[in-house]
Amino acid sequence: MAALGARRLLRPGRRWFSDTVPSAPSPPASPLYPPVVASITAKSKAAKSRRLQRFNQRVHEAATVEEKLRLYGKLQRPKYMVYPQTFALNADRWYRSFTKTVLVPGMPPRAAAAKPPVATAGATSETGRAPEPRAEAPGHAEAAGEAEVAANAEAPGAAKTPEPSAGVAPCPDIGELRSLACDALLQESFYQNKKRPFLYRDQDHTPGPFLTQLVSTLAASLSRHNPLLAASSLDLNPEVNYYWHHGNEVVVHGHRKGRVDPVRFQIDDNPHLQIRVPKQLPEVVPLESDLGDVPVIDHKPSKLPLFKKQYENKVFIGTKVADPCCYGHTQFHLLPDRLKRERFIKERLEDQIEVVYRSNGIASLFAWTAAQAMYQGFWNEADVTRPFVSQAVVTDGKYFAFFCYQLNTLALNAETIKNNPRKNICWGTDSKPLYDVVEDGNVKGFNDEVLLHLVHFLLNRPKEL
Amino acid sequence: VFPGVRQAQWLTKTKLVEGLPPAVQGIMDNPALGLQELEERAKHMVSHARLWDTAEAAPRRERYCPMLFENLIHICRLMSGKYPSLSKRMLARNCRIAATWERESILLQVRGLSGILMNSMSPIPPVASKEEILATKEHVLETFYPIAPTIDLQEVNVYKELNDTGHMCPLGFRDGYPYSHLHTLFFLESANVRTDRFRPEQLRAKMLMFAFGNALAKAKALHGNDPKVLEQPIVVQSIGTDGQLFQFMVFQLNTTDLVSNDGVKNLVWIDSDQNLYERAQCVPEIKKGVVTKPAGISGFQPDTFKKFLALYLHGTV
Repeated sequence: MAALGARRLLRPGRRWFSDTVPSAPSPPASPLYPPVVASITAKSKAAKSRRLQRFNQRVHEAATVEEKLRLYGKLQRPKYMVYPQTFALNADRWYRSFTKTVLVPGMPPRAAAAKPPVATAGATSETGRAPEPRAEAPGHAEAAGEAEVAANAEAPGAAKTPEPSAGVAPCPDIGELRSLACDALLQESFYQNKKRPFLYRDQDHTPGPFLTQLVSTLAASLSRHNPLLAASSLDLNPEVNYYWHHGNEVVVHGHRKGRVDPVRFQIDDNPHLQIRVPKQLPEVVPLESDLGDVPVIDHKPSKLPLFKKQYENKVFIGTKVADPCCYGHTQFHLLPDRLKRERFIKERLEDQIEVVYRSNGIASLFAWTAAQAMYQGFWNEADVTRPFVSQAVVTDGKYFAFFCYQLNTLALNAETIKNNPRKNICWGTDSKPLYDVVEDGNVKGFNDEVLLHLVHFLLNRPKEL
Repeated sequence: VFPGVRQAQWLTKTKLVEGLPPAVQGIMDNPALGLQELEERAKHMVSHARLWDTAEAAPRRERYCPMLFENLIHICRLMSGKYPSLSKRMLARNCRIAATWERESILLQVRGLSGILMNSMSPIPPVASKEEILATKEHVLETFYPIAPTIDLQEVNVYKELNDTGHMCPLGFRDGYPYSHLHTLFFLESANVRTDRFRPEQLRAKMLMFAFGNALAKAKALHGNDPKVLEQPIVVQSIGTDGQLFQFMVFQLNTTDLVSNDGVKNLVWIDSDQNLYERAQCVPEIKKGVVTKPAGISGFQPDTFKKFLALYLHGTV
């Protein structure tokens, strides 16, 4: 009864009291109801995107870089293991499509102040030094598309002898460096008494120690020309890892069958030698340059062949985040015995020899630069604001190939790649021999060009220094 | 071979002097080297080798001991920016060295992988003056009567004395090698298990034996096989470490006449048990909510690094 009475009292339209007509309700100071968003736990696409947003928010707000890396690689799922040193045919095209990289043959044009000319013994003709990267006025470096073979880069007004900065000696003596290189080669291959090489371990016997000796002595003697080298850190046999997502696929079997998942990749690389520096190398071309096309491959990555495994998602440049030398300068890779040139020639796959060098250069450098960028706090939702540049030399002891990589974007997963026009760029040369043969304590056919290239790589430094 | 330093002294007919020779001390005290800035770098290198090098929590000794050595050598090598003659050095790893000598009618031989060698084109000048060398004549080697001095040495039938010319090259390198003078030997005790590592005393003895063996092989190559007192004494340095404790040694070979017990003796200067740092914590140790040992390197001793650098620069500076 009381309920009926109450309902009659509350019948709308009836006024029981002569109070004032209520005016239009004032706009509420804060919303009366919480925002209508998708649920967190439901099995729906909206819920999934909301969970993803919350995860991205959590990573954005992480206090330290270590925490960010920990959250980034927290979820473990089966992922493709990408090996930089691989026998797969045309692997460099596949790797370029995974990492959104443009391959530009030849070496990049360099700004004038960054490269003092090297005093060659004997007559120096300008055309004779054409194959090396040439000094160029900074204005010309802006022109994209000049990343072709450096014969283009004989631009007028190129400063042939830039003023050396204070405290830096002007020109390294190529004769002295040549003798250092020859001494290292002879010591490892001729003079030192060594046991016979272990089976299929030829690379550890002579080319490995030779590369170590060569790089350490060259870096030491060039440190007076390059103050960045004087503050550098040399690692022997470091570990470089990177984990990323690229593209989408449908899960094929298992309890998660039918769901759309990102395609996960992991690179675990062991360069032979690595030089890390406390200051970043300068950019080669501006961040938004477009120097070519990225190959698009319609097949699944497992056709390469690539295989999946689930293990820890590591991002590592060679040291932990606390190290002050957190930027990369140059890496040196030694090709193992199973990727020898003779093997490819025997199987009539001569065109794949260069592919091995290129795929090693692209994959290793992408992993290194991307891991350096992650150490600075960038990730695929927070893309890099400055390009990260590193160099690499891939060799099998006699043939050397040089690569320079500029990382412009980390945003490679399916959502962020849609509106991302930036591409990563890799400049690379073909492999050239450093010498012909070592006989009786003499190095025959020493190729100065390769040595000069190596010296230019080691002398690379930011413009301020 | 497990002899103590005293036994090694008798076997190599050597007189021991504590501390490093004055020439090396002079390099350390030289202010022109700019050793202060290098301290900061050395500390970074120690942190890198002990804390930052690996993606796991803490690197193991097999990894951090060689890594620390490589880092320190890298800093020393970068000094060749200031002293260009330092580039006339070459490191050689995994060398096989052998030397034979006779000591009071006992034939001794030292052999093996002697670690890492550093060779240079020019020899180190003698560290002790002529008077000091002649003064060693009065020094009497301590004997261990009744213990035979060859205790704990392995008796082996050696059919090929490796000092002979022929195929075997006792120095580990063929003739014509431009970096023919041995400068320093490095010994890295990097086994993970403590019982596999040499204790400091044994490490010093091993360093002495190998330094002596190498110097003797060089002397025989230069001056022939006859035992005699050397006009130009040969100096070989040696550094041994287990990643934290360093042993420094400078050995001067004055005579190859080792059969008799008197006459001029060889000299060795040893600076032992130098700590480079007290402790390296990867993860801070927390007891009852209070941090007792913070993470990082504590107790860094720059003097040890200065001695390392001084021994590296000895001979060119």
